[in-house]
Amino acid sequence: MKADVLIIGAGPAGLTAAYEVAKTGLCVLIIDEHQQAGGQLWQQSQILALPDIFPNMRGFELAQFLVERLEGLAVEWLLGHRVIGVYEDGQIGVTNDKDVFPVFAEKIIIATGAAENAIPFPKWTLPGVMTIGAAQSVVNRDRVKPGSSAVIYGDNSFASDVCELLLSVEVNIVAIVKQNKQLGNSTFGDMNIPLYENSSIIEARGNGKLEEIDIQTPHGMITLKPDIVLIDGGQSPILDIVYQLDCALRYQAELGGWLPVYNHQLQTSKDHVYVTGNATGVSNHSALILTGMLAAASVCEALQSLPPEETEVVRNSLYSKLENEEESDTFSARKEHIKQFSTPQLKDQFIS
Amino acid sequence: MDKSVIVCRCEEISYEEIEEVITQGGRTFDDIKRITRCGMGACQSKICSKLVAEVIHKQTELSMEQIYPPRFRMPISPVSLEALATDSQQFSTVKSVLDEIELTDGKVK
Repeated sequence: MKADVLIIGAGPAGLTAAYEVAKTGLCVLIIDEHQQAGGQLWQQSQILALPDIFPNMRGFELAQFLVERLEGLAVEWLLGHRVIGVYEDGQIGVTNDKDVFPVFAEKIIIATGAAENAIPFPKWTLPGVMTIGAAQSVVNRDRVKPGSSAVIYGDNSFASDVCELLLSVEVNIVAIVKQNKQLGNSTFGDMNIPLYENSSIIEARGNGKLEEIDIQTPHGMITLKPDIVLIDGGQSPILDIVYQLDCALRYQAELGGWLPVYNHQLQTSKDHVYVTGNATGVSNHSALILTGMLAAASVCEALQSLPPEETEVVRNSLYSKLENEEESDTFSARKEHIKQFSTPQLKDQFIS
Repeated sequence: MDKSVIVCRCEEISYEEIEEVITQGGRTFDDIKRITRCGMGACQSKICSKLVAEVIHKQTELSMEQIYPPRFRMPISPVSLEALATDSQQFSTVKSVLDEIELTDGKVK
């Protein structure tokens, strides 16, 4: 199979990049391991903060919008397909679990997103302990109530959206446990949920399922009896495909840990490989869309479907939007990461 | 951290087993993987790679940026041998999977 541009990952960043590339007349191929394009958006029922070119929408509405926008453009889909690796001649190996076949593209855009991090404690493998994203997808995608009383464990801001969702399906939130004390007021106050800061789960107990947990707080140990614990350990970029493509990597804690080095064009150390979305550093929904547009503009410039002068104008305006809409710490880390493009910490990983 | 805590869920490798490898001189995720099977299960280290890096970081003088992620080799996610051994005449996935890049005169072959 052949395409001008191969996009790996059909989440918000990948779908945005697909639209921007395809509308210049290039032929796009999108691969995603799920049968439905849209990625994590389908389980996000909260209203998203998006760049001003979009109206306010909920996650699943954005998924539908981004997919429908591609109708009539030269976009081919490989849904339910996974990338298994990269061959010596640069072709990408793809499987649908029945067969394996190679795909060739002039340019590749990596939009593989990020995965949730775990926070381990004794017996965290008991049924009933899951990540907060899993709880969201169980409610919104599978239409199943994950439990009747929950403890949320972690430090991420995304917890408040999921709290509202859980309360709306009558899951009682017994407590929120945070390891670090955060500055400012906690939003959980309005919902009257007990908040334990500077605290951690010491142990979970249960016979075949979660029954109780011990929490070490600054004021002593307490025991609670939730039937689910939702771990919110933040996210880190997914590395497997960029690693296979032999892209050089760097560690940037504020962006989620290890990630490919990239330049101002969002081009990696491999000339034909670009990155976008959470794969460029974990950020908010606006950044997913804006980096999708950035990577697409650079790819179009490289394939001469956009003139260089015009691309530079587009890119500058996207960067200034990104600076406004992304957390300032994230944007500074991103600028630093771009500056360090030529000094990766891990490169040529397949030559030992 | 309690020594009994499972770090790699897929292969059920505990904190204690990882600590043991570090005591013996293990300094990378792959050192720990080769000795314990940590990260070799269904998720291919997606859940445990960061947790293991944190254990190495706590037990040694290494900073997080000195602890490299695991080596992701082809196939990067589990695929059945039947699918991998495609009967295509044009190209052989099996041969490519078994090939590793080698250096010839200092350059990639």
